[in-house]
Amino acid sequence: MAAYIIRRVVWTVPVVLLVIFMTFTLMKQIEGNPFRKTERAVPAAVQANLERKFNLNKPWYVQYAQYVKGVATGDLGPSLVLRDRTVNDIVEEQFPRSIELGLLAFGWAVLLGVPAGVLAAMRPNSRFDYGSMLFSNVGFALPNFLVATLLIYFVSVKWGMLPTSGWTTWQHKILPSFTLGLVPMAYFARLVRGTMLETLQQDYVRTAKAKGLRRRRVLTVHVLRNSLIPVVTAAAPLLGYIITGSFIVENIFAVPGIGRYYVTAVSARDYSVVMGLTVLLSIIVIAANLVVDILYGILDPRTREART
Amino acid sequence: MSATQIAGRVAGVDAGAPIRQSSLWQDAWRRYLRNRGAVAAGILFLLIVVWCIVVPIVSPHDPNRIEFPDAYQGPSWSHPFGTDQFGRDLFTRAALGGRISIGIGFGATLAILLIGVAYGAISGFVGGKLDNALMRFLDALYGLPYLPFAILALAIIGTVNFWTMVVALSVASWFITARVVRGQIMTLKENDYVRAAYAVGVRWYMILGRHLLPNTLGVLVITIFLELPGVILGEAFLSFLGLGINPPDASWGSMAQDGRDAYRAHPHIIIIPSLAIATLVLCANFIADGLRDALDPRTKET
Repeated sequence: MAAYIIRRVVWTVPVVLLVIFMTFTLMKQIEGNPFRKTERAVPAAVQANLERKFNLNKPWYVQYAQYVKGVATGDLGPSLVLRDRTVNDIVEEQFPRSIELGLLAFGWAVLLGVPAGVLAAMRPNSRFDYGSMLFSNVGFALPNFLVATLLIYFVSVKWGMLPTSGWTTWQHKILPSFTLGLVPMAYFARLVRGTMLETLQQDYVRTAKAKGLRRRRVLTVHVLRNSLIPVVTAAAPLLGYIITGSFIVENIFAVPGIGRYYVTAVSARDYSVVMGLTVLLSIIVIAANLVVDILYGILDPRTREART
Repeated sequence: MSATQIAGRVAGVDAGAPIRQSSLWQDAWRRYLRNRGAVAAGILFLLIVVWCIVVPIVSPHDPNRIEFPDAYQGPSWSHPFGTDQFGRDLFTRAALGGRISIGIGFGATLAILLIGVAYGAISGFVGGKLDNALMRFLDALYGLPYLPFAILALAIIGTVNFWTMVVALSVASWFITARVVRGQIMTLKENDYVRAAYAVGVRWYMILGRHLLPNTLGVLVITIFLELPGVILGEAFLSFLGLGINPPDASWGSMAQDGRDAYRAHPHIIIIPSLAIATLVLCANFIADGLRDALDPRTKET
């Protein structure tokens, strides 16, 4: 197990370096330079000074090395468009809101998705089972901009119950987090139902029943515990869903978070911000992956042998 | 007998395979037809595709012509889906948008398959250290969100059109496919017929091309319908954010973007393309489930 963890940790280093390298190379290819887009003519000397200040005149490998060094020490560099701000400022200001949104969405998913899956598996082919699986299928298929628009249309505009957009009071946070949580919810419901049905057929469950344990105890101790392992493993791909979804949800509900700012930064050609945010999001996903893989090995001893 | 002759004999035995193979596909087809949900989804999927192809040709309305007097009409006989803020017929325009959305969907799915098969086949076939390195690499990348990379890719290419969207949407979406293909190749490699082929001196590329890759076809067919929903939604997200297909060109995402401003007074403009996306994605998911049950009966338990 220790060897597996070490190998797994060591492997993330080249991957992170490669992701930074790819992002870096990609950003270098983009046409246009934020310093050239103003209509006011900038004197050549000023232009040269600016490029020197931001290291744009150095060879690419020097820039890359400096950037990696920056990332390693937690410095993502200055914004190229907003003069008085660094990428770190932007991250510090906007990121907590995105994290909160993501956690709330995850909360909705656990709160509604997991019980739906458990109940569906306990009564397979019942009406509840069909209903929750239909809901799960529809939850996967509906584009979240439609869900958001419908929620705003009915809940906010027609019934006037919740605000349409913004991110200040808790009322503001209900609709965005629910919209973002819908896909994870659908995912959990389906996943938990599947693993639980599978677990119910295991020999140890039959043994537990045969030795006369009560149904409740069999379900909680033997079935549920083992069925929830995939919920932990699903955290990494779900993080990807939540990040992707946040781009849309933050946009529609005007949540001043990272997903919304990313799109703004791309339009403004703010390289360093786009690069910094991409690298940051990637590192978070890679780290989550690492943690999940290790947790999985701890939670489910059967995988240890197979995975080393 | 020389080695080549033996190889020829082996290939000859292999030539008998199509009969067995077609019966495998026939079995799968029969199993698929028994799944009513999957059949209904398949028919609906085909209907949507036919609608997208046929309607723009036969429709009396020009999907791009602006007619302000006709703007914001609700559904009627002459405009079954109503009209948008420029008075364009949404029934025709949604079909036109569907061509782009579905086209990008299949294009990007194909690209994902190509990258995934190449990566997975190399990893699974070569094995050993290379396989280990390639897989640890994939482990770390697993779950990376495709959207930021798609946006980056579009920013770098600089122009947005059908093909650049295909590239953008496939660039960070092939990880799962690669892993699935690698797993298949690893399993298939252990089969006796592959060992026998090696034993009689068949070249590696023949083994890969004749014995291994054709046998991954079933998995690949499932993968098409597993990847399609994500890609179609990805196109919609990009276009909705204004970073993908731009008006006046229509895709379902850009049409939803068109309807965004008028959602309070005229919600049908955003609802129609969104429902088209949802229906297609739902169908693709059901088709994928049906195909999985049909092609791999062992996994059918729930």
